[in-house]
Amino acid sequence: MLNLRETWLISLGALTVAFMLVGIFFASTGNSPFEVFYTLYRGAFGSWFSWQNTLVRAAPLMLTALCTVLPARVGLIVIGGEGAVVVGGLCSTLVGLALRDMGPFTVITAMVLTGALTGGLWIAAVGALQYFRNVNETISSLLLNYIAIAILNFLVIGILKDPATLNNPSTHAIGEANMIGNIGASTIHWGLVYGVVACVGLWVICRHSVFGFAADVVGGNIRAARLAGLPVVKILLWCCFLGGAAAGLAGTLEVAAVHGRANNGLNAGYGYAGILVAFLARHNPLAVIPYAILLGGIQASGGLMQRAHNLPDATVYVIQGIIFMVILTSELFYGKFRWLHATREAKS
Amino acid sequence: MNQDIVLEAIDIGKVFGDVLALQGVGLKLQANSVHALLGENGAGKSTLVKCLMGYYRPDSGQIILRQKEQVIDSPQQAARLGLGMVYQHFTLIPNMTIAENIVLSRPSLPAVIDWSKEIRALQSRMADMPFQFDLQRKVRDLSAGEKQKVEITKQLLLDAEILILDEPTSVLTPTEADEVLEKIHQLTRSGSLTVLMITHKFREVMRYADQVTVLRKGRFVGAADVTQVNPQMLSDMMVGGESISKPPAREAHASFQARLKISGLQVNNDQGLPAVKGLELEVNEGEIVGIAGVSGNGQKQLVEALSGQREVTSGNIFAHGEIFVSNQRSIDKHKFYCLPEEPLKNACVGNLSVAENLVLRRFNHPAFVYWRWLLNRSAIRRNAEKLIAQYKVRTSGPDQAVSALSGGNIQRVVLARELAQEVSVLVISNPCFGLDFKAVADIRGQLLAARNRGTAILLLSEDLDEILELSDRFHVISGGELVYQTTPAQADLNTIGQYMAGH
Amino acid sequence: MSGQDIGLWSVLIAVLGGAIRVGTPFIFVSLGECLTEKSGRINLGLEGNLVMGAMVGYATSYLSGSPWLGVLAAAGSGCCLGLLHALLCQHKRVNDIAVGIAMMLFASGLAFFYGKPFIQPSAPRLPSIGFGNWSDSPVVRAALDINALFFIGVILAPVMAWFLMRTRWGNSVRVVGESSDAALAMGISIHRVRLLSTVAGGAFAGIGGAYLSLYYPGSWSEGLSSGQGLMAVALVIFARWNPIYCLYASLLFGAAAALGPALQSVGIHSGYYLFNAAPYILTLAIMIISSDRKGTLGGMPGELSK
Repeated sequence: MLNLRETWLISLGALTVAFMLVGIFFASTGNSPFEVFYTLYRGAFGSWFSWQNTLVRAAPLMLTALCTVLPARVGLIVIGGEGAVVVGGLCSTLVGLALRDMGPFTVITAMVLTGALTGGLWIAAVGALQYFRNVNETISSLLLNYIAIAILNFLVIGILKDPATLNNPSTHAIGEANMIGNIGASTIHWGLVYGVVACVGLWVICRHSVFGFAADVVGGNIRAARLAGLPVVKILLWCCFLGGAAAGLAGTLEVAAVHGRANNGLNAGYGYAGILVAFLARHNPLAVIPYAILLGGIQASGGLMQRAHNLPDATVYVIQGIIFMVILTSELFYGKFRWLHATREAKS
Repeated sequence: MNQDIVLEAIDIGKVFGDVLALQGVGLKLQANSVHALLGENGAGKSTLVKCLMGYYRPDSGQIILRQKEQVIDSPQQAARLGLGMVYQHFTLIPNMTIAENIVLSRPSLPAVIDWSKEIRALQSRMADMPFQFDLQRKVRDLSAGEKQKVEITKQLLLDAEILILDEPTSVLTPTEADEVLEKIHQLTRSGSLTVLMITHKFREVMRYADQVTVLRKGRFVGAADVTQVNPQMLSDMMVGGESISKPPAREAHASFQARLKISGLQVNNDQGLPAVKGLELEVNEGEIVGIAGVSGNGQKQLVEALSGQREVTSGNIFAHGEIFVSNQRSIDKHKFYCLPEEPLKNACVGNLSVAENLVLRRFNHPAFVYWRWLLNRSAIRRNAEKLIAQYKVRTSGPDQAVSALSGGNIQRVVLARELAQEVSVLVISNPCFGLDFKAVADIRGQLLAARNRGTAILLLSEDLDEILELSDRFHVISGGELVYQTTPAQADLNTIGQYMAGH
Repeated sequence: MSGQDIGLWSVLIAVLGGAIRVGTPFIFVSLGECLTEKSGRINLGLEGNLVMGAMVGYATSYLSGSPWLGVLAAAGSGCCLGLLHALLCQHKRVNDIAVGIAMMLFASGLAFFYGKPFIQPSAPRLPSIGFGNWSDSPVVRAALDINALFFIGVILAPVMAWFLMRTRWGNSVRVVGESSDAALAMGISIHRVRLLSTVAGGAFAGIGGAYLSLYYPGSWSEGLSSGQGLMAVALVIFARWNPIYCLYASLLFGAAAALGPALQSVGIHSGYYLFNAAPYILTLAIMIISSDRKGTLGGMPGELSK
């Protein structure tokens, strides 16, 4: 049973410890940690410009995080967000190119559906391999990442290449008119709304719907789920599908809202940061939103940290790595603080 | 006879958190005797023994070994002092051979192991052992009885002088149990061994033990020579004269409608070998049909097949004459419910709350949802509050995680869930394992009441006494098949024992 | 011989050479993971050890002038990372697999961060023995140029097998990996055994990484490793946790990974990227074949399936 007080307290505590360790890391590079943190803050949330930067990065993170969150709720640790992004982006580009002249509404709708469908099937395959052949889903999803990237490179450099894109081999463009625009006058594309809606929607499903309850049972104890006669296979595959669909959607957004075409830029590492967001959020779709914004902010400030303090881009990876490990270690503390729980019954 | 007291425990106390496991417990173990340690589940027998073996340090009291006070820090030190223990859950390594298991359990091994030399040495020592086996067999291929014998031999080969046995015969057929206890008894008589035996079977105490010590709720109740007690006295000491509600009387039933029918059932185990072979069985309305047997003869796989946790290889399960497939619709239609053993592992989701577990089968029924998909959590809560009160589940509230409850209360939660509605067929396995007397009496009362209401109950149990007490008629399962059928009134223990052992 | 024959032979020899050249890091990483898994723990973070080992090895070789010192330093970094992994995982509530992923990201990030200054400069490389120097063909020469670490790896495999079966410590590892109940009863410290196995496994993975930067491909860059650490985990399953089979499987993987470049060297350029996918597809195929619905794999340490 979710004990919100405990979750809040331990999460915040863990983040505090993480940031202290990050501060020590900054100090070890010869910088004043306070200065670097201030730069981090400025680059992430210090101005409207940085906020926009942050939110644009947060949007795909929300979606790729869901790719880990949904399977995790049924007990599978999937890190295939990267691959689903690539597959979704690539396939929706193909569809977008084919329907290029049919008007933006048709194009975008088709691309969104394709991205979600193909991404979903990609991760559903991971779930199927685990269920039917007992193949470790973490390893298989990671392998599929590499395979997806290889297929992307093969097609984009080969038969799909737009000859005009010599420097950065890409497919043909879907056309300016067909792209997803920005919200109002900002530089934030509507993909952010897709991300937030996906998180909220999936939260409602996971916490308040019959399907979500069934998923909790399957993830909690699959034997009990079978005893209750629940359709275990369907639930497992659907959760994988939904997670993959979210990541595939992120791929579509990369094409339809950012680049306008599919290229190696799809392989941007959102998948891996998404994993961290998922664990930070303790696999709660709603909590994904603030953590995605936090991680987006850290990534957004990478450039500023480089310019202001001469810290290389890998700094962001180190920060993320430290946070990840502290968060995992904090799992130890759940259930240890008796005063956070209602008094337990003595064993009868 | 005034023999030396080789091991004495004085005034032992042990606390775990706010649970008082032992208080003022004493034990006097005479040399070369068989001493029984008796008590119901939760009485503290395991804790006491673990203190003797160095797993725990007692918070108070002393242990006196061979007239010298000892502080026993670790199992290794206990072994050096000549104490050896055979656990209820075996500590043998399944994927290794018997020889490897025995050699590796030696406290002092050379840095480089010459296996052929070690095995030769082992074989020559085996000549003096009470039990014989092929040292190259892998442990996972052994039966429970064989594993038990290997465990005992292992301790003897480690030169244990005081052997502690934890429920040694719980996984043996009556015949095997007699064989093992007889050998143990001989070893003590020949002057080479002293035995402390945890048990709850009066028959064994009366037949094989020289002295008995009784514990209840962590306290010492009494100790005596076995010649001076009888089973009724032992029972009184164990239970303390607490009034246990008498189970409802059995009512006769007129109809003989077969509610559950199993036909030609074959179920394979994890290794792909058949664990249940061509099983045929019928359970009628308003009767309790028991299946008795020693663990490992296919009971687990049978229950798993009936509860949908394991695939059926061939054969059929019929409920009310229709083929039964374990999905929610069929289960609801035929009111076919299950109470498997180890409820936390098999029938509950530990990290979900009591309320959620209580509604595990019905969370998508109209009573608990809005618009067919949105959960009505307040209805779920109200349902839980009602059942918690009705079945007297001790919990801090409907929102407490089920894993925080004690074993007995987890069982009550599952019982509440399964019996709270009309039940037509109930499959139940080892319901009372590990529970105290009161919980056991509760559950048995519930089962008989359900039977009287017409439920067809299939009861699998490794405790023959339980089968004899509850069944209207029962079978014996051995090697995955039902080999014998009889009623409690006509039961002859010897015959049953033989069938259990596969003769 | 016709031109086509030479082409075919060239490809075969290139694949053989590639098997050894590309397979050597796999030998070390898979033996390291094998040891760790024999103790009952799975370490998915070895990819991070690999990258960190590559960076540390390269940097040390550059700064000290000795590639062997680099290998030693890489082993040391592998020990530290293994230690961190072990300390985090020894608590029951902490998820081994998640920690592995976190270590992978953390160690890679750290390696990229500290490795920036070493991307351009060139460091002394590990020596090799030219078994093909009798030939005129550059392809044969390149193929049979076998590095020193390969020989160490080839000896390491049977040594590890002997260690596990015939020494007291090795058997402790096996017992802890098979049944923690038995280990407890025997008084073996489960934490200590798993810690040491993870540390040793991490060290081997670090050496594997040093090979990548100090021999082939032979320089430090951020794209150096591409999943070899993870493929090694699949390799161990395929090899049924047997060190000698780990050796053979590593060579097999090396051959698969060398296929793309080998074909390129004889002028077959199309489908290059698809051949790049070959090792991953092979790994996935192997995992699908080796795994079983019921999850009972022969040779799997008992504690791993819990």
